[in-house]
Amino acid sequence: MAILVDENTKLLIQGITGKNASFHAKLMKQYGTKILAGVTPGKRGETIEDIPVFDTVFDAKANYPEINTTSIWVPPLFAKDAILEAIDANIKNIIVITERIPIHDMLYARKKAIEKGINVVGGNTPGIISPEKALVGMLPRKTFRKGHIGTVARSGAITYYLANTLNLAGYGESTSVGIGGDPILGMTFGDILKLFDEDPDTHAVIMAGEIGGVYEEMAKETIKNMKKPVLAFISGRYAPKGKRMGHAGAIVEGNLGTAQSKIDALREAGATILETFSEIPLRLKELNILP
Amino acid sequence: MRLYEYEAKALFRENGINIPESLLIDKNVQWDILKTHITYPAVVKAQILTGKRGKRGLIKIVSSKEETAQAINTLMDTRIDGMIIEKVLIERKENITEEYYLSITIDRMRHKPVIIISHRGGMDIEEVNKTFPADIYKYYKDVGEKLQPYEARKIASIVNTKRKSLLNLANIILTLYNKLFLKFDAKLVEINPLGRIENHWIALDGKIDIDEDGFIRHPELKEQGIQLRHEVGELNEREKKAKASGIPYVELDGNIGVFPGGAGFGIASIDLIAHYGGKAANFMDSGGAPTQERLKTMLGLLMDNPNVKVIFGARFGGISRCDDWAKAVCEYVLTNHPKKPMIMRMTGNMEEEGRKIFDEAKKQHPEYFKHIAVYSADKPIEEVIKEAVNKAKEV
Repeated sequence: MAILVDENTKLLIQGITGKNASFHAKLMKQYGTKILAGVTPGKRGETIEDIPVFDTVFDAKANYPEINTTSIWVPPLFAKDAILEAIDANIKNIIVITERIPIHDMLYARKKAIEKGINVVGGNTPGIISPEKALVGMLPRKTFRKGHIGTVARSGAITYYLANTLNLAGYGESTSVGIGGDPILGMTFGDILKLFDEDPDTHAVIMAGEIGGVYEEMAKETIKNMKKPVLAFISGRYAPKGKRMGHAGAIVEGNLGTAQSKIDALREAGATILETFSEIPLRLKELNILP
Repeated sequence: MRLYEYEAKALFRENGINIPESLLIDKNVQWDILKTHITYPAVVKAQILTGKRGKRGLIKIVSSKEETAQAINTLMDTRIDGMIIEKVLIERKENITEEYYLSITIDRMRHKPVIIISHRGGMDIEEVNKTFPADIYKYYKDVGEKLQPYEARKIASIVNTKRKSLLNLANIILTLYNKLFLKFDAKLVEINPLGRIENHWIALDGKIDIDEDGFIRHPELKEQGIQLRHEVGELNEREKKAKASGIPYVELDGNIGVFPGGAGFGIASIDLIAHYGGKAANFMDSGGAPTQERLKTMLGLLMDNPNVKVIFGARFGGISRCDDWAKAVCEYVLTNHPKKPMIMRMTGNMEEEGRKIFDEAKKQHPEYFKHIAVYSADKPIEEVIKEAVNKAKEV
């Protein structure tokens, strides 16, 4: 088992003819991810890395009804439409690589996804990998090794450093999830943690958050109820201060969003707080989690 | 991106919300204030993106031409939080009966817009929230739907105004939500104070914060002279250069130049450097898949910063490929022959190709690569950071 992507993933790539999408289609395919089709409006009949391209998600789905996952690589102002098209076509997992999607667009897309019970990961995610099973996105494949630690992070590079650190110590990953760096996300830390808690292949979870937003604090209740240990790395303790959302933001969110508020919330929930990557193997051993 | 008060108020007026009679003074435009007709008493307000202007002396009440000229002189060109006052707004001082608070923002926990209203406006609303939480009313609205008139009336009636003013207040709430907040990709629309004069309402201040990522689809804002801007204080030469190239770059007071990948690891590396006893000289974000030009500009900024003694670089190739990164770094080194030590690590997508590029360049010109180390995945990132911290202590 793994979460979200695995050997049964049948992938669609929306925006496949773009430079990054076509390059990473090749790498995903080399990794063994089953990519059935791509979509770029107006490019029907073309192929990218032998993957057939269709004009619409519905055409792709009509030809390959087994498609169960899509990845979205379209420009930011088209992302909402692409997500809604995938939701309408009833694709169960939508992984949004596109970054800087307008907030109002993402709020609407995530609401529609939740109404239909569809998983949306991102925007601005580097992707998801379940080592030796499937890779969706642009994660560097050689960095990840099969194992029993689940990771979930907002930043791409931190996802890679977590895996790199685990692997150097003999551990591996069940699934590594980038939840995305945009201000409004589809699935949040809590949603992913719940999936890991139910996954028999995952023995512990490392979450990596950062200053800004409220998603780390929101995971508090989930962590309290989890069977598995959670380790948390929060960056931004020494970061230059950002701008707040004015008075209204303070009324709605109070003092949430700072590194300290996140660390306090997660510690109170029972998570082990990490200050460095290199201490990860030590903390795992203390929790009796072995490679 | 926040709008200036005068920009927000122009949008209010266009949409039928009353604002005081006013005059905008721009430092680049000649005005003979002594010959200008102004109704007194008036208020002279610095146009600057900072809060608590009243408490900081940036809003002055004047009752003559001379006082107005003096207030303008005092305010104009003053530096506040690193920003310079370039415009002031002169407004007629309104004789109001009551001051309300009204705003719309996004609750990121509930993932819904929220309309916030209180009859205790004008003063420090965050303080009111602590002292009189019951006097602040929040109305959550479903995403993707316009506010209906009955909802606006319901919200207005909560703050318990009289019939005629209630309907006028409801109209303002409706306009603010549908014609400003939804239409312009706003993250925040706020009127505080919203003044009542008998049955009418008037916006005495205005704050609008537009989502930068949605700005591009609102040409009508651009037509009004509202430019895409990032909120920054005073910039030094290098920060200005970075801004012109679209690179998020903030200098800190350390001596280790950070040449990271994206923002996430950029922030984490500042913490890790501090954890190992060093101090970062900057925050920087390459963005996903940076161009070679951008990477070279980033390196140039660190080389030009005299406080930077050592450069810590990290490329974990994801969407950004190692070969592109290696090419940019090598070209920079071969052209500029930098003297500052560079302690770096490169791994991820297209790593072998990237390594070949380094090896090749080094073979041709070993003299330029003497101070440069490029480690791979077998050396943990924190070992690389420790080496940079130690190097910075030596230099």
